[in-house]
Formats: sequence, structure tokens, C-alpha cells
Amino acid sequence: MSKLSTANPIGFPAALLASALWVGLFAVQGAAFAWRALGRPIDGLSLVIVTLTLFVGANVATFSQRYMRADPSRGRYILTVAGLIASVLAFAMATDLVVLALAWCSSGWLLAQLIGHDTRQPEAQAAARRAQLAFAAGDSALLAGLGLLAVHAGSLRIELALASVASLSQPVAVAAALLLLIAAAARCALPPFSGWLLSSMTAPTPVSALMHAGLVNAGGFLLLRFAPLFEAAPAVRIVALAVGLAAVVEGIGVMMVRPDIKRSLAGSTVSQMGFMIMSCALGAYGAALWHIVAHGLFKAWLFLGSGSSVGIKVARPAELRPDRLPALVAAGVLIGGIALVLQGRATGTLLPLMLGTATAGATLLGGIRSAPDGSARLLLLALVGGMAGFHVLGLSLIGAVSRPDAPALVPATVLVGLTGLFLAGWVWQQRAMALGQPLPRRLYIHMLNAGALCAPASGEAQ
Amino acid sequence: MNQMATLRPADTMLSRTEIAGLVALAARTVPPLWPLESAIAVNPLAGLEDLPFAAAVRVGANRFGAATSLPLGQWRALLHAGRIDETRLRDAAVQQLGGLYRACAVMAPGVCALDLLMARLLHLPAVDPHPVPATLAPDVAFLAKWCGAFFDQGLAAMVMPRRELGLYRAVLALAGHDADFRALAGTTGATLLLTVPRDPLAAIAEALHDLGVPADQSLDHLSLLVARMPGWAGHIRWRSEQADPDVAAAAPATMADLLALWALIERAGALAPLPAAPPSGDVTASLAAHCGLDRARLAPAQHERLAAIAMLDAGDLGKVFMAAAEGTWCHSHIPRMRASIDLPAAACPPAAQLVFCIDVRSEPFRRARENVGPYETFGYAGFFGLPIALHCAGDDRRKRLLPVLLAPQHDVVEAPVPGREHQADTIARARARDRQTAGLFAAAKQGTATAFATAEATGLLAGLVMVTRTLMPRLGARIAALTDPCRHAALAPAPQFSLADKVGFALSLFRLTGMPAATARLVVLAGHGGSAVNNPYAAALDCGACGGHAGGANARILTAILNDRTVRQGLLAHDLALPETTVFLAAEHNTTTDLVTLFDTDAVPATHRADLARLTADLDRAGALNRQRRAVQLCRSPEDLLTGAVHWGEVRPEWGLAGNAAFIVGPRTLTQGIDLDGRAFLHSYDWRGDPGGTALATILTAPMVVAQWINCQYLFSTIDNRRYGSGDKTTQNVIGGIGVVQGNGGDLAVGLPRQSLFTDDGNPYHVPQRLTTVVLAPFAQVAAVVEAHDILRRLFGNGWVHLLVIDPETGKARRWASDGAPDDEGRSPVSH
Repeated sequence: MSKLSTANPIGFPAALLASALWVGLFAVQGAAFAWRALGRPIDGLSLVIVTLTLFVGANVATFSQRYMRADPSRGRYILTVAGLIASVLAFAMATDLVVLALAWCSSGWLLAQLIGHDTRQPEAQAAARRAQLAFAAGDSALLAGLGLLAVHAGSLRIELALASVASLSQPVAVAAALLLLIAAAARCALPPFSGWLLSSMTAPTPVSALMHAGLVNAGGFLLLRFAPLFEAAPAVRIVALAVGLAAVVEGIGVMMVRPDIKRSLAGSTVSQMGFMIMSCALGAYGAALWHIVAHGLFKAWLFLGSGSSVGIKVARPAELRPDRLPALVAAGVLIGGIALVLQGRATGTLLPLMLGTATAGATLLGGIRSAPDGSARLLLLALVGGMAGFHVLGLSLIGAVSRPDAPALVPATVLVGLTGLFLAGWVWQQRAMALGQPLPRRLYIHMLNAGALCAPASGEAQ
Repeated sequence: MNQMATLRPADTMLSRTEIAGLVALAARTVPPLWPLESAIAVNPLAGLEDLPFAAAVRVGANRFGAATSLPLGQWRALLHAGRIDETRLRDAAVQQLGGLYRACAVMAPGVCALDLLMARLLHLPAVDPHPVPATLAPDVAFLAKWCGAFFDQGLAAMVMPRRELGLYRAVLALAGHDADFRALAGTTGATLLLTVPRDPLAAIAEALHDLGVPADQSLDHLSLLVARMPGWAGHIRWRSEQADPDVAAAAPATMADLLALWALIERAGALAPLPAAPPSGDVTASLAAHCGLDRARLAPAQHERLAAIAMLDAGDLGKVFMAAAEGTWCHSHIPRMRASIDLPAAACPPAAQLVFCIDVRSEPFRRARENVGPYETFGYAGFFGLPIALHCAGDDRRKRLLPVLLAPQHDVVEAPVPGREHQADTIARARARDRQTAGLFAAAKQGTATAFATAEATGLLAGLVMVTRTLMPRLGARIAALTDPCRHAALAPAPQFSLADKVGFALSLFRLTGMPAATARLVVLAGHGGSAVNNPYAAALDCGACGGHAGGANARILTAILNDRTVRQGLLAHDLALPETTVFLAAEHNTTTDLVTLFDTDAVPATHRADLARLTADLDRAGALNRQRRAVQLCRSPEDLLTGAVHWGEVRPEWGLAGNAAFIVGPRTLTQGIDLDGRAFLHSYDWRGDPGGTALATILTAPMVVAQWINCQYLFSTIDNRRYGSGDKTTQNVIGGIGVVQGNGGDLAVGLPRQSLFTDDGNPYHVPQRLTTVVLAPFAQVAAVVEAHDILRRLFGNGWVHLLVIDPETGKARRWASDGAPDDEGRSPVSH
């Protein structure tokens, strides 16, 4: 039919990008294998981040071939996505402070462009400006922090800068680490920088997937890359721990109350990033890096599938009844944790370990209790077992290539206390949900409003 | 304002009863908005159907801040693509100028009035009617936020506090703590929050009084407030008028709640001004220059003519183009239909008869079907006349499988097919298991202690699923199907109808479609549904006559009824003797893949096995043919249509009902040889069997009205996709499990997304035009039916639908004129 256009202009560039990324993914793995076979050292952190970025990027590019087919500016879209992936790869592989800084800044700029991809929507432009602002703050902190390191080391090589960290005076170390923490917090959307991520729903869905699986992890990457610096400034690690904890609470709150799927997922990302930063701060580097990978895949999958959440559910008051299971599981896990501490076997990974146990325990016990029949119980057991296996496998694989964990930041008792905090919050939350109790009004409103592009911002857009 | 209020005597305040009446009327400003899980097409201007079409478009544009027409540039693109005929455009332009005489008025040597108008239509720079998309106003943002929280239907883990108080009182209880409200309404708002009546009707009365709105303007005032957020207002209408009561039980809300909130905002002085339509520039000079007119030498009358043509705005020019589009359709099809009225039915008896839904997507499939063998096809409303709601095994809520104009009369449950109890049991258990797993996953994902380990443990699996769904979706679908036994083989709807009901349902099929009693050996009743994954608008591809669901269940029920010996006996009493040899068979046509599922084939007797085998083979051939045809329209390969149907990134699995232009009531012989290009609803009808016009009345007041809703939804969603449609799919965000919003929030989206209406290059695929209803019956018979029904007089008389009646004796076509009286034959452009 001649009356319809037959060209599909996104097809070629998107297909090109997608195939390049898929090929790149395998090439990198092959190269790493060969490199290792030759006995050369491999930077595990770079390899993992590059692999994750290529994998998610390839999926997003292939997905976009269909999804963005009718976009009025699909050419610009695919170019920006390609630039974004390239800059993430560049800073993940950078051995040089200048390359790192440049690639880091350009990735933020490109991401903001994609948040404001729909140039006809003032709201998208406002969201893009907001991201740009948060990134500007973070990027300035990054430049200042890296500048301090470079001046001290007298070199632009990351390797040399890190080697010279031991000789930094404490105030300089704290200042540099604090600056890098600010840069990381801006990228990870930790409070007070959460707003840009929570208002970024103007981005097309695949961009959100890329953002939540790739870009936000950059903060964690920074903390892992400059881990020696943070180890030299324990005070900043304490700050990171606190900021991470705040992000966990804020993010979970947003996730719980938002009625729209995308911002609810964004809230979840904020909390997950908070948890990851906490792991970094505690020195559990392997756990943090594994979290980056697994959460990236998890969130990209949820975002790409966010169109599936249509369907009305009707709450039935009869289903609401208190449940003692979370309290029992929490108590059991806490006792186990204390036992580990008493035996002196607690490390920075105690927190993820205990929470993982609680998750498996609660899911398994809750599932077995509510399973319709025996075969369902077996299946559930296999599923939880399999997933726990995946988890442990991934953790140990990543642990093998990542930097060895840092010495304990806080005493083991504090770790148990921290875990206790998570568990107590969980028991309270599960109880409230089981009884259908709403949050206190002020808290509810705070969480509901978090990240809203406020009225002045919309006014200035006109 | 407050001063005025003190001057007015208190007793002028309207009573609660009066306010309730006004609110009920104001609510009609917007149509009910169905949730996307069972999407139903509605006319966004349904509340204005009392007005002539053109006037309604203008009123609607003012109320909703919408455009009155497609941008001129897009109309021109349609013209250049050959979808609108330039000759018809000239005809329509002549009509616009008031007839041939005025159109030929000379403006200058060799230049007539028509040339001026054509220049504006075709050549002069377009005056873009679309205002720049406005930023979400703070008042709308505030109320939309609370509506989203209040109406959430299971997406948020923790619900809004105080929901049980009702929308108005719940928001009153929370707004005091909301920084957005302080920013919006300031101290006035804070004071009002404490003092306004807690009863929404009393609050509205007080607000109208306080604002000094005169009693005779109250309705307009409230209507404008309703129109500020057509999405959530429409959702409220759906909840209170159409939904099962359990949906709203936990969070009651009425239109009065919403209006009381708007009134509160207005009293606080925080209502954002409506965006003013941009002034259209004066084109007199450029028009004159373009046509080589010397304005100084024009006579006064010529000046007037020039000014009149220059004054036409985008809405007027769009009207001409729309009339041209309608004329193009009529001109290319009506003459051929008129020539077909005497065609005899096929000489040899058909190998099988197939009854399809009237849906426009059935037409090309029927044609393909007829081309592959001696098959006869019929069109009937896809719910097959069964006013039922179905409780699927394992579902919490019932599905209403009938047009939304009707209320379900029978609740049908799904029960195991005899002999397949074990399989049904397996399905039930698998279903229970899946739900349990989903519940556990949701709980683990949200727990403050469990969210992190859940993400980590799910990661690798998620990555695997992501690759499969992105690169090998068909493999993924096949794997998923392995673990899921064939549902329809094990479970069937098991209705409990009385014999009289059954006979009635069976009889309706024959009475309405004019299907002869001498049926073929096999008669297939085919419902239809679409397939799309990860697509909020998936239900919009399903059968509208089945309330936005696939229609297989209805086909199965009517098939069982027609195969029932006692029913066949009962039909004898109504002079309907079906041959002993006829076997009815149910099917479902997948409109996305053009694959057909046959139901309950085990029950087909051995004598009909050969017929069945041939039918199945031919169904595959017809499907392949139609897929090929549709692939061209979608600019994709036929194989890719099968992939798109299961791909989670597919934004346009099929064109749906895009292109719909006509509703044709008559026997298939009328349209048999004509390629209607999937643009026509076809309802079978034989006027000879319907002397009283009761069947015609049913067809015109039920299926045709559904078709008109669909037509208007596509029309307005195309004209202004931002206000009447739901915008771009890629930035949509599912809210509350109900529908979508754009980006971060705002009003609940109405209408259809851009991808469903526009091609990849941004030009409309759907040509916005009104429905043309064609009826083959004596004019008097049709006129009697139209005169007897208000809704038909309104739709035809106000020009929402064109009615063309083809006389079966003479083959002459007559058009129902817009002023309500039948038009003279001579004036109609298609009746020569």
C-alpha cells in the first residue's frame, strides 16, 4: 500500500546499537577470560560494571527498537542512549582521573537530556532541569574531590592517586571523601538528592530501565573505586551509613504509598541504593557490588514490564488479621546474629546476611503456611532454595573479583543493633499492612509528596 | 466577592436537593471512563450530543481546552497520501460556501470564491490550532494527586488514610498537613478547611452562594469544574454507575465529593485560569496576495466574501476536510453497494456458515474466508445476544461480557468440562500456586527487611527473563504455555438458563441477522479478542460488545444452546426448523495474529469430522491471507505480527479499530464483492423478515450506538491526542491499577494513545471522520424506526452519524438530513 510509509527510521540505528552491545557483551567476557589466562590482573570492579551496563544496555536497545518506533525524535533518542552507555563504559573503565570526571559528567548531562526527551512537555523539561541541578551539585563535588586527590598525588592516574591516600592528612582525606560521597549521593538519588529520580517519570520507559539499572549505580561504583580513600576517613563512612539509612527509610515509604507504578519503583530504587551505600560504608564491598548487579537486573526487568500493572484489586476487610510470623522470624534471626557476634565471627556482611536469612525464612514459612497443597510447598521450597542458591553463587562469584572487604567500621554489636532496626521496622510494617492500618497522616503526606515537581517549578516552566 | 455575599440574602442559597440535581446534570459533562482492564470506547463529548456536531466540537474545545480539528498540515498529508479525494474536498468546500452559486462568485478574472477557499485548505500556511501544551496547573496537580491516592485499587501497599470517610472528607482531613495545599490555597484555604460544611452538597451550595454565582449559571459553573479533570470525573461516573458495588466499598466517592473539592479551591481563589485559545492571525492579506487579488479593486461584496473566507478558523477548515473524508468513503463504496442490491445469494450451498462480530476487523477476515472456499459469513454483535457476567474459576471478580448499554441478566460460572475434571483441578491448583507466589513476592519486595535480599535473589532470574522476553519472546511464550494446560479444553462456562431463555437467545441470532433457517452442515460462531503483553491498552483490542473482553465464552454458550435438542424443538414453535445435520461450533478469532481457536471440537460428531478438517485448513489459509494484508498496513512482516503479539516492547500489536468509517446494515450480498479495507462494521440484516422494524430498531439503538462511541473515541483521540486521547505510550505510567497518567502525574488519561492512531512518521493512520450508517431497507421502514427513538433522532439529526438508506427496490440512496427531515434525493452527493 503506497499510501503508508514503509520506512522505519529507528530500525537501523537501534538495531546497530543493539547488535554492537550484544557483541560487545560477549567480546568483553572473552577478552577478560583471555586476559586472565595470560596471567594479567583484571580490575574486577570495572569488568562487573561494564558487563552489567552492556547487558542492560543491549536489552534496552533491543526493546527500544519496538517500543520507540513511533517516537517523533527517535534518531536523537538512540544517539543519546548510545552516548549515555558509552560514557558509563568510559568511566567504569577509566584509569585516569580526567577521563573518569569527563565521562561521569557527560553521563549525567545525557541522562538529563533523556529525562527531558519529550521537548514538547514543559513538565519533562522541568524534570530534566531538576536532574541537571542535582547532577551539577554532585559533579562539582566530584571535580573538587578528584582535584584534591590529584594535587596530593601529583598524578592523574587513579592507581597512583589511590596509592597516595595513606599519606593524606586526616582533614584532607575527610574533605576529599566527603566530596566524593556528595557526588555519589547525587547519582544514587540519596536524600537530599532523591527528588530528581522520583520526578523522572517523564523519561520513556526504557530510559527508566537504563537509569535505574545503570546510572544510579554510579555512586556505588565511585565508593568502591575510591574505597581506600574512604577507609582512610572513617568519619565519612559513618556519614555514608547514616545517609544510606535515611535513603532506605525514605525510599521504602515512597514505594509503599505511591499509587503509580513508576514512582513506586523509583522509591524502591532509592531505598535499594541506600542499602547498597550502607554496605559500602560498612566495608562489605563484595556484597555491595553484587547488590549493584542483582538490583540492576531486577529493576530493569520491573521497569520494562511496568505496563503489566493494570488490573483492579478489591480489598476485602475479612482478609485483614494480625500475623505473628514476622515477629517470630525477626526474633530468630536476631538471636542467630547475636550468637555469631558472641562467637566473634561477625563481619561487615552481617547486615546483608541477617536480612537475607529473614527474607528466606519469612517467605518460606509464610509460603508453607499458606500453600494450597503439598506440591505447592515443594515447589516453593525449590524456588526459594534455588533463588537463595543464585544469590549465594552470585555473591561468591562477585566476591572473588571484588576488593577484599574492609576492616569493621563499627563494633559488631552496633551491626546487630542496626539489623534490629530493620527488623523492628519490618515487624511494625507487616503488622500495619496485615491490619490495613494506614500510616500517620503527616508521614503519609510526606511520602506521597516526595519528589513531586512542586508548583513553583511548574510555574517557572511557562 | 465576600462583600457581595454579605449583601445577598441568605435564603437565596440553593437547597441540598437542588444542588444534588445540578451535580447530577453537571456530571454528564464527561462520559463514564472504564478502567483499562476492561477498556470501553466512549465519546468524550457524549454530554453534548444534544447539540449539532459542529457546535458540540466548539463547546467541547472550550470546556476541555482542546483543539477543534486535526492540524491543517496533517489534513493535507492525508490528502497527499490519497486517503482523501481532492474532488470530494472541492465538493465539501462548495457546501461550506453555501452551494455552487456562491462558490462560483467571481473575485477577480479567473478567480472565484472556491479558489480562495481551496487556497486556504491546500496552500496557505497553516494556522496551527494547537496551543502549546500547558504545564499541569497547580490546582489540577493537587486534586489529581489526591484522586490518584484515593482511588487506588491495589497498587499502593499502604492506602490513603481516612478513605472510608469519602473523597471530600478524606481530603479535608489530610489537606491541612499538605504543603501543596498551603502553596496552592494559602491562609484563605487553611481557614476554609476548618469552616466549610462537611457535607459535600452543603459545601457546594455555600460555595456557589459565596462566589456569587447566579442560580441560572450554577449548572454551567459546575459543568466547567467537572470538565477540568475529565479523567477522574469519568472514573467517578464509572464507579457510581457501572461498577460492581464491592469496587467502591472501601472508598466511597461521588461527583459531589469532587465538585465540593473544586469549589473549595475556587473559594480559596486558587483556581488556575483556563488557557486562552491563541488568537488566530488575520490571513486576509496573504490570502489576497496568494490568489493575486488586488484588494483595492475589490467590490464591497467581494471584500465581504474575501473576509468571510479569511475568517474561517482551523475548526471550520477541519470541518471541510472531515466532510471530504466522509464523501471520499461514500463515493468509493455507495455506488457499488447500490449496484449489488439485486445480487442473488451464492448458487451452491455453502460448505459452512460463519457468524462473526460486527467489529471492523471482522470484515477483511470474512472476505479472506469467503475467498478460500464456499463459505457464507454473517455479522452479529460479538456478545451473541447473551446478557451475561462470567465468574471465571479462580477470579475474584466477575467479567461483564455484554455491551455496557445493558445490565447483566445472568451470572454464569465456569465449570469443568465433563471428563476433564482432573485437568481443571490442575489448572485451579496452578492458579492458586501462582497467586500465592505472586503474593509472597510482592510482600517480600516491599518489606523493610526483605526488600534487599529479594532484589538480590531475583536478579539473575530477572536477567534471564529479560533476555528471553526481549530476544526470544515466542520461545518464552511457548515455555510458559508448557506449564499451563489448555484452559478452554478443561473449563467451560456453565450457564443455568431456562428453556425459554435459551430459545429466545437462539431466535435472536436468526431474527436480527436474517440468517435463513436452512443452515449449512457446520455453523461457526466466532467471537474475537486481541493479544498484547505488557500493554495497558490490551483490553482496547478486545471485543467492545463483550465489555472489553474476548468473546469466546459467549460464542461457546450460544453454540451449546443451538446444539441443544430441546432448543431445536423449541425453535420449531417459532417456525424455525434447523436441519438435523447442522452442527454449531464455537471459535475465537485472534485479531492480532489472525489465528482462530476452535472450542469443544471433541463434541463434533464423527459425521462432521471431514467438514471440520476442511474448515480448519481453510481457517489457517484465510488467517495467513489476512495477516499478510494487515502486515502491509502495519509496515511489518506477517511473521513479525506473531512476534509482536507476545513481545513486551510492542506498542502497536495491531491497528485495532483505527480507520473505522461506516456501519452497514444489510445482507452480505450488499458488500460481498467490495473491499471495505477493514473500515466498516457489518451487521447482517434482512429487511424482508422484519416488517415491524423491531430487529432494525435493536440494531440501530444497540450495536450502532456502540459503534458510534468507538467512532467518536477514535475521531476525538486523533483530533487532539493530548486532551481527548492519552498521549504517547512510552511515557505513560500506570496508576492505581485503573488507568494511566502521563509522566509524573496529572489527570487520569482518557481515550486512546498516540501509537494506536498515528503512523510512525507522525501522520494520522486513522482518518477522523464521522460514522456513515448504511441501511438496505425501504425508506419508510427506516424512517419509522428513527422517528420512534430519541437517540436515533439525536444522532442522525445532529449530524453525529450520517444515515444513508438504500432502497431495495429501486437501488436509490437517500440521506437523512441534519435538520431531522429526510433529505431530497437530488441534494445528496451520492444519490444520482
